[in-house]
Amino acid sequence: MTLSRRSFLFASAALIGLRRKTNRPLAGGFADDNMSVGHRIRDAASWPTPSRVVRTPIVIVGAGIAGLSAGWRLLKRGHSDFVILELGDQAGGNARWGQNEVSAYPWAAHYVPVPGPNATLVRELFTDLGVLHNGVWEERALCFAPKERLFINGEWRPGLDSVIGLTGRDRAEFKRFDDEVLAARATGQFTIPMALGAPASSPLDTMSVTQWLAAKGFTSPALRWYLDYACRDDFGASASVTSAWAGLHYFAAREPEDPGPLTWPEGNGWIARALISRLESRLHRSSPVYHIAPGYRVFTPDTEYRAEAVIFAAPSFLASHIMDAPRASYEYSPWLVANLTLDRWPKETGVGPAWDNVIFNSPALGYVVATHQDLRTNIERTVWTYYRSFAEYTPAVARRMLAETSWRDWADSIFADLGEAHPDLRDCVSRIDIMRHAHAMVRPTVGFLGRPHPTGGTPRLVYANSDLSGVSLFEEAQFRGVAAADQVIAQL
Amino acid sequence: MAFALFVSVLLIAACGLIYELVASALASYLLGDSIMQFSTVIGTYLFAMGIGSHLSRYIGRGLVARFVSLELLVALVGGFSSTALFLAFAYTQSFRLALYLLVGAIGILVGLEIPLLMRILRDRFTFKDVIASVLTFDYLGALAASIAFPLILVPRLGMVRSALLFGLINAGVALWATMLFKDTLGGRRYLRAACVAVIVLLTMGMVGAERVTNLAETSLYADDVIFARTSRYQRIVLTAWRNDLRLFLNSHLQFSSRDEYRYHEALIHPGLAAVPNARHVLVLGGGDGLAVREILRYPSVDSVTLVDLDPAMTTLFSTHPRLVALNGGSLTNRRVHVVNADAFVWLDRNEGMYDFIVVDFPDPSNYSVGKLYTTAFYRLVAKHLSQNGYVVVQSTSPMFARRSYWSIVRTLGETGLTTFPYHAYVPSFGEWGFVLGGTRPYVPPESLPSGLKFLTADAVPELFEFPADMQPVVAATNHLNDQVLVRYYEQEWAEINR
Repeated sequence: MTLSRRSFLFASAALIGLRRKTNRPLAGGFADDNMSVGHRIRDAASWPTPSRVVRTPIVIVGAGIAGLSAGWRLLKRGHSDFVILELGDQAGGNARWGQNEVSAYPWAAHYVPVPGPNATLVRELFTDLGVLHNGVWEERALCFAPKERLFINGEWRPGLDSVIGLTGRDRAEFKRFDDEVLAARATGQFTIPMALGAPASSPLDTMSVTQWLAAKGFTSPALRWYLDYACRDDFGASASVTSAWAGLHYFAAREPEDPGPLTWPEGNGWIARALISRLESRLHRSSPVYHIAPGYRVFTPDTEYRAEAVIFAAPSFLASHIMDAPRASYEYSPWLVANLTLDRWPKETGVGPAWDNVIFNSPALGYVVATHQDLRTNIERTVWTYYRSFAEYTPAVARRMLAETSWRDWADSIFADLGEAHPDLRDCVSRIDIMRHAHAMVRPTVGFLGRPHPTGGTPRLVYANSDLSGVSLFEEAQFRGVAAADQVIAQL
Repeated sequence: MAFALFVSVLLIAACGLIYELVASALASYLLGDSIMQFSTVIGTYLFAMGIGSHLSRYIGRGLVARFVSLELLVALVGGFSSTALFLAFAYTQSFRLALYLLVGAIGILVGLEIPLLMRILRDRFTFKDVIASVLTFDYLGALAASIAFPLILVPRLGMVRSALLFGLINAGVALWATMLFKDTLGGRRYLRAACVAVIVLLTMGMVGAERVTNLAETSLYADDVIFARTSRYQRIVLTAWRNDLRLFLNSHLQFSSRDEYRYHEALIHPGLAAVPNARHVLVLGGGDGLAVREILRYPSVDSVTLVDLDPAMTTLFSTHPRLVALNGGSLTNRRVHVVNADAFVWLDRNEGMYDFIVVDFPDPSNYSVGKLYTTAFYRLVAKHLSQNGYVVVQSTSPMFARRSYWSIVRTLGETGLTTFPYHAYVPSFGEWGFVLGGTRPYVPPESLPSGLKFLTADAVPELFEFPADMQPVVAATNHLNDQVLVRYYEQEWAEINR
């Protein structure tokens, strides 16, 4: 008797739970990730012969932040005769964005730290865009409070680093790490952009973050988690492969009193959008450059551009596939970014939603709330941008997973990951859109400072992607784009 | 007869499971932590059933009559279980004790049912058939109940009525048993009368179920609840005791009709009476229309725009007779234009200029409302302020939340407006703070509209004097990117609230 009842009791409890899980239809799919065009270029497929020839002094290949910034610089220097060729049907690169009836949302990069006084180019751009006026930052662009929270021990707690120092020893190690960062900052070599200070080699670049921690006697699991999280967040790589120099750069290059970061619902898409609107007439989307011949002849399926200079702002690894160039020796981290549209906020324990929401010991990076910068007091529907790097796999394995795993399986894995913190999340989400970034960002692995940079072999073919810096940051992309524009201007 | 008996097994199995689910779900609903509640309630219940089964051996003769009485007991205790739990939560400090006592009692009674029934059936069927059939129908009943509970009962009937309905089913089974076993029972008419009495009682419970949930809420408030509604944005509760009408939003007191005039006269007149010929007035928040009532005392005012997020609030205060009497029908006045919108977004998208702006939001107790107390918001307000105009901000208590108050004053001053902090005593709230902002020096009004109950022109300058315990303290400016005010407010009120 008792046994029979008991089995039904558990069955009934399961029924209550299961009903919620299976009832709700889930919409969505993979967003266009340009994978097939990319593979056609890689596989040197045959392309139609362009039907027309256009002469233009400068061609910019790639409309990510580097390419757009090169265009921005050319315009500001009075050069208006150029084109920007973008492989995909959306410009912006890692600053691409999406929009639905609930909110705009990022497809990758979602913030820029408030630039310090030495980051003059970034400051100049933000002055152009109205974000910085008379030395004052537009307060609607500075990330609203509360900025971060961490799900740990069954509840959300405020901040990322402040609360995970649980024991006295943890706190002492966090303090000691802060001192290391201060000392690193004082050396002046950890700058943004890196070109202003980074040395060609450094003892710190001969070891991984993990090795550096061991060498310095850091053993706190909380600190180790935090640094690994930082590496996965900024580089998509684990602490065990990331160069200690790059790991320290993450902390030491930022301003100690950052009132930001700067962020918008669509993330860095807001910046991309503003740049695109200034460059619209010169921007050609869905124009994959499949070949660059000597003499600055740039081939797309419908047009051959005959230029006097080329700025190659696409990821450098593409170069050897489309022109006579050596293979770039860079490694790239793949990423998966999912945008979850929520009809209501899920249940949770602890402090309320922040901008950046991280789950302790999750393989993913958590999620960012796209409506966080919304001025309304009452926000009923929202979009969460979920970030998954694959630091625990080699990039090749992770890329194969990205190509082979179905949308439904990704959705399930996202629910499983976030479900720990939000048990009824499935009930709240009406759609999940996923973008697979096969080569999202360059990895600053051990020894990256000394890696040879690819060059175009001529001063009029200039590489400009942020991968030249070894770290995929907005500021690096902008710096490389501007520097390439300046070099080309000097040559013409 | 056999089939009828086995159907009754199915029914009592369903009833037993429902009481358990009701107790678990109600405990989860009221206490949170559903895993803990389900787990402990199920454990207690099963253990009590074991006790019941054990006790069944002490029941000797007159099995059928005992079974009927038992069913009636289960019907009463189980049927009224959720009612009892609601009331225990509302009126007593020991909800958990009541919960486990009740779960234990129902468990013991339910544990007695099946052993008794099996013994009744033993004489009529072979043992193996009894075991097989009783357990089969027991399983079936449990399945039916467990599916019906989340899908039909809770959404359609609610907790109180679901339990009562299954109480009625238990009582029905008892009544049915008195008919099936007419021969065995002989002339025991009183059993049938008892069945009818229990059914009547439970039916009355069904009719009055609505009041139980209300009753539970009433006890959270000191006075009678005369209106309660959950809108999209908040829980609106109105209570009355004699002439005292009180409004609670999310259980925070917004006003008491006995002294709200002090608050609203102090909010409006020091500022508005000092603006010569104010024509256009904007009220942000204040969906109760009480600030508007004060504004309408000025004949020079052509238009009042009231922006409040919640249409449920403005509709309630435009239609409820007692509330309309209180605000003088201000919200339906032809000079008044009501807009239901988020104030921040509305200000951002509209161009109008106003001679007097009233900022009357709930206190900055969280990051959402906190946005309406930031430099970004006040800059926007200042952009809508005419040359000679003033803005007034309700700014929590300078006495209980001193740092919060002076942080609001500083934040408003950060927008370039000159600030003029003042305060007034409102018995329901205590010492309450306001701050005026404008681009010109403040000169207290020489006269105030007639008909005021609290303020006189002579008394206005005194409001701007702060005694020693409310003097300015160092407090940071409140920005969107730090919201220091929310932390100040949390800390300061945490020290006062018990």
